[in-house]
This record gives sequence, structure tokens and C-alpha cells, in this order.
Amino acid sequence: MTHTTQPLLQVRDLRVRVGERTVLQSVSLDVPAGALVVLMGANGSGKSTLGMALAGHPSYRVDGGQALLGGQDLLPLPAHERARAGLFVSYQSPPDVPGVKNNLFLRTALNAVHEARGQPPLDAFDFLAGARQTAKELGLPEALLGRPVNEGFSGGERKRNELLQLALLQPRLALLDEIDSGMDVDGVRAVVALVQRLRAQGTAFIVVSHYLTMIEQLQPDTVLRLDQGRIAEAGDMELARRIARTGFARQAETAEA
Amino acid sequence: MDSAQADILAAREHLDAQGWIARRSEAFHHLPPPALPDWLAAHDDAPPLNGPGWTLGQGASGVQAHWLDAHDPAQRAELLAGLPRPGEGEAAPFAWAHRALCREGLRLHVAATPQRAPLCLQLHHQPRARAEAPLLVLDVAPGAHCVLIETHEADTARPAVAQNLHAHIRLGQGARLQHLRIAAPQAGDRVAHHLHVQLAEGADYAQALAATGSGYHLQRNHITLQGAGASARQAALLLLGSGQIDQQTYTDLQAAQCASQVETLVLAQGRAHAVANAHTRIAPGSDGASVRQRLAGVPLAGHPRLILRPHLEILHDDVQAAHGATWGALPEDALFYARQRGLDEAAARALIIEGMAHALLERCLGPGDGVLAEWLQGGWLARAIAQQLQPGEEVHHG
Repeated sequence: MTHTTQPLLQVRDLRVRVGERTVLQSVSLDVPAGALVVLMGANGSGKSTLGMALAGHPSYRVDGGQALLGGQDLLPLPAHERARAGLFVSYQSPPDVPGVKNNLFLRTALNAVHEARGQPPLDAFDFLAGARQTAKELGLPEALLGRPVNEGFSGGERKRNELLQLALLQPRLALLDEIDSGMDVDGVRAVVALVQRLRAQGTAFIVVSHYLTMIEQLQPDTVLRLDQGRIAEAGDMELARRIARTGFARQAETAEA
Repeated sequence: MDSAQADILAAREHLDAQGWIARRSEAFHHLPPPALPDWLAAHDDAPPLNGPGWTLGQGASGVQAHWLDAHDPAQRAELLAGLPRPGEGEAAPFAWAHRALCREGLRLHVAATPQRAPLCLQLHHQPRARAEAPLLVLDVAPGAHCVLIETHEADTARPAVAQNLHAHIRLGQGARLQHLRIAAPQAGDRVAHHLHVQLAEGADYAQALAATGSGYHLQRNHITLQGAGASARQAALLLLGSGQIDQQTYTDLQAAQCASQVETLVLAQGRAHAVANAHTRIAPGSDGASVRQRLAGVPLAGHPRLILRPHLEILHDDVQAAHGATWGALPEDALFYARQRGLDEAAARALIIEGMAHALLERCLGPGDGVLAEWLQGGWLARAIAQQLQPGEEVHHG
């Protein structure tokens, strides 16, 4: 896999507050196009906060730092413009969207992104054909396309639905927050296959995960450990294996020593 | 003087003697209706209207329809046959005013089909006069299943009207009616719709109303579950960018094993004023009755005034009842989720609102597929939301 020298995502000294608590003290990381970075960290270390802050969630206040996507400063942009610029953040717990049919939600989102890219909108027929095929590949029952978004979906179905959105929207950078939690073995295979396909097309990934099995299959370029709102350690698969063996508490002690 | 003229005169005399709705009236004190002359005046100096009154859509075979002239004694007798005389209740002056002004009416009779397949009716009403009192009488035979889409929309610009509409709906034993009502008057209209619904044993009635605001807009249901095992579901979606609406539902459970659900969602902004009243009465002897009321108000922007009034009157022990009223905001997590997928704020908001509206109507009517689903997916809701609920200033509290 070839990566351009200029990182697609450049985060510098990002400082983020949720309410009165500063969750990210200072986070810096680079992700080249087509690269895959695995982000690990104990509960509460700030992994999800990084995703929400990059996405522009109003509850996550950026107090300092910079985040560039393809050279464009993300932080002044409203959430939808960050998405249209190519940022996709999958949710750890995707919310219900009551009454909004999944296929309508997906098509509306896709056409909003198409419009921003100067591409023609998809009509309902073309969209449905593509969505059905992709849903089938991801193991998402076709019936869920006609149901309100995430309403009554199981945990695994919600995650597969996130993958469906990812596959259709084809972002430049995707942050997948514990996409494997709640997934069965086939679901994890679907994640790996989709990530590999999109990486080959140049999509970069930040994958938050606790599970070595999927991380190994993803073959990350970099593994980062987040601790107390900072990148405490950077490495390769060996770092992920060490964390899996010894846990985060032991890693923190080692880093301090 | 013929019998029709005598009946009209008697109604006017009753109004003269008893007067109009009192300002202190419990049912109407939040949004008092315009004075009596508005509901009777002929506006002789105004240009005539061209509306056809009631029109029944194509494909309504299997239904008997009679348009009747209320000024013709014989036709008036046929039109009013079996209907109760206006009483002395709080809304009775509207009923007397209707008797005094009613010019024509439509009687429909839906028979049961051997296959019990639903009979689908599309009924549209356009005003014929500046002040009018249309009448609809619908009888659904025992065992029949009917789907009725009833629309009141201002298709083209016309002078403002005062419309005092009454509908009497009677469901025979085991009959079923799914009733979608659209009431979208013009801004200056004064509209009062009164529905009187009676359910026999085992009958099932579902009414989903979508209504917008106007100068004065009353939607009042009085539903009586007379037979054991009857059930009624009422859902109301009130969309108000401006103007006002007063929605009143009175449900009376009079027999055992009856069930009633009332759900109202008010989405309002600007200086709109909405009142949602739900009053359910469970009569003595109504063993196993089940009642639920759920009223929700979502102020979207500006200073809308939303008044939600759930009320239960329980006169029997062996019942299940729940009610509640909530004021809240659009679901922020869903809004942000949509924006993170690329929808701008206005598009995300419209999508979420339309979803909430669809969910409400489908909970009442059922998801289904046929003519109801087609209508719901046909774009009316999206257009109404776009027209009524433009993104605006922030909500102000206090």
C-alpha cells in the first residue's frame, strides 16, 4: 500500500472539554490517506471524545489545537460540512431516528454528500439497487432498509448499519468507534473486508477497538495508546499484543517508568 | 313555511335565546371561538366561491353516496335522519348554528363486502360559501372495513371562510374504519370541525389527524364506545408555524373491554398558539377498559404557546389507565447523527420532524401498504412541514 507523504488527517495539540472536565489534554496524530491507525486506551481515556470532537458535536468543546483534513481546517466547520469534507465517525451506540426510514435517511445523506462533491443525485431506484446489494454483502437484512433508522435493531444490526453508511458514503477518513462490539464473527469479517476495500481506494481509518483478533486482521500501520487525554505510546502490532497481554494499567506503569 | 324553514328558524331562535359559547366555558376558555355572527353571516358583499363542496374520489364502488339539499324538506329529513338533536353541552351552540346554516350534506353508507376487503374512499371538501355548515354522515355496516382519506385543503387562493362542519360517523358491530383527516385551512379562515363517532360492539375506529393553524381552528372529536370490545385510536399531528388550533377529544367508554388511545404531537413555532385537550371518561360497569393518553408538545423556535390538557374521569374499578403530557425538544442525538452524515441543519431538522410525524400517524393507522401508505408517502407531510415549520430563531422559554 502506498501512502502520500502529506498526512490526510493532521491533529495537533487537540484539547477538548466536556462540560467542566478536560478529557483530551493534548492529542497529536497523523493519518495518511489509505492508512489505518488503531487507537487503544482504557475506558475514559478519551477515544470517543476524539471522534465526537472531530465530528463537531456541540457538547465537545475544543479549547485548543488544530485538526486538518486534506489541509482544510475542520474545527471552524459545522458538523455537516465536516462530513461533506469526507469525515465519517461511526458511533459506538448509534441512536434511533424515530420514524425516518433507513433507506430515506441513507439516500438523503448520500445525496447531500453527492451535491457537495458536485455529483448528480441518485434517484430512489438507483439508490435502492446499490443499497440492497451492499446490505447483502454486509449481512444486513434487506428488511431493515425499510424500517426506521436503528429502531428495534439489535446491537450487531446497528453496527452493520453503520458499515452500510460507511460503504455508501465512501468518506476520505473514517473513525470507527468500537465497531466490533456487539458483532458476531461474520460481522467482524464484514468489517475487515470493507475496511480493506475502502483502504485500497484511499480511505484512511482510525479504528478504536479493544479486541486483538480484529486488530490483527486489519493489519494497522500504527497502533496508538491513549492515556489521560494524551497519546502515551505509539507502535505497531506488537504494542497491541502487549496491551492485550498485560492490560492498560501495566502499560501506564511501564510508560511512567 | 315548510318543515326545513321551520327547523332553521327554530335553531336560530334557540341561539337567540341561549346565546353563544360563554367566555368562561371550560372547554373553550383557552381559545374562545369567534362570535356567533361569524358562523351565520352570508357575507353578501363578498364574491361567491366556486368550491364544489364534498367530492368523492374515483373507485368508490360499493358505497352509497347521497348529496342532499338541506333546504328541501324531504331531503333535509333524509339528511338528518337518525342524528341527535343539538343538546345543551358546551359545544352545543356550534351544533345549533350548524342546524341554522346547513345548506347541504353528504350521506355515505359503506356495506360489508364478502371478502371483508377494505373499501377505500377519498373524500375532499372545498368551501362553497364564505360562511358554511357542511354535513357528513357516514354509516359503516356491521363487519365492513373502510379506509377513508378526508382532506380539507385550500387548493387555490380564495377569500377567507368561516366553516362549521359536523360529521356523524357510526360503526356497526365489528366494523372497522381507518380514517385519515387532513385539515389545512388558509391563514385567515375560521374553521370548526366537529366529529361525532359511535362504535357498536367490537367496532374499531382509528383516526389520524394532521392539521395546521389558522385564524381560528377547532378540531373536536366526541367518540362514544357503546358496545363491548369496541376500540378507538386517535392521533393528532398539529403543525403550527403561526395561527392557532384548539384540538379537543372527548372519548366515552360505556361498555366492557373497550380500549381507547389518544396521542397528540404539537410542533409549533413563532407565536403560534395550540391547545390539546384529551378527556376520557370510563363509565360505571366498563369492566376491563383500557385507556391511554399521551400528549407531547415540541416548541421549535420563537415563542409558541402550547397547552396540553390530559384528563381522565374513571368511574369504575377494574380498568387500566395511563396519561401524560410532555414538553420537549427534537431529539438532539438524532439531529447530530443526521448532520454527521452530511445533512445541513435545516434538512436534518425537517427529516427528523417528518419522521416523528410519520411515526405518530403509523402508530394510529398501522404501517399498512395500500392507499393510506401511498398517501402518507405522497409528500403532503414534507410540504406542510416545509411551509409551516421553517427554521427560525431559537426557542425562548419563560
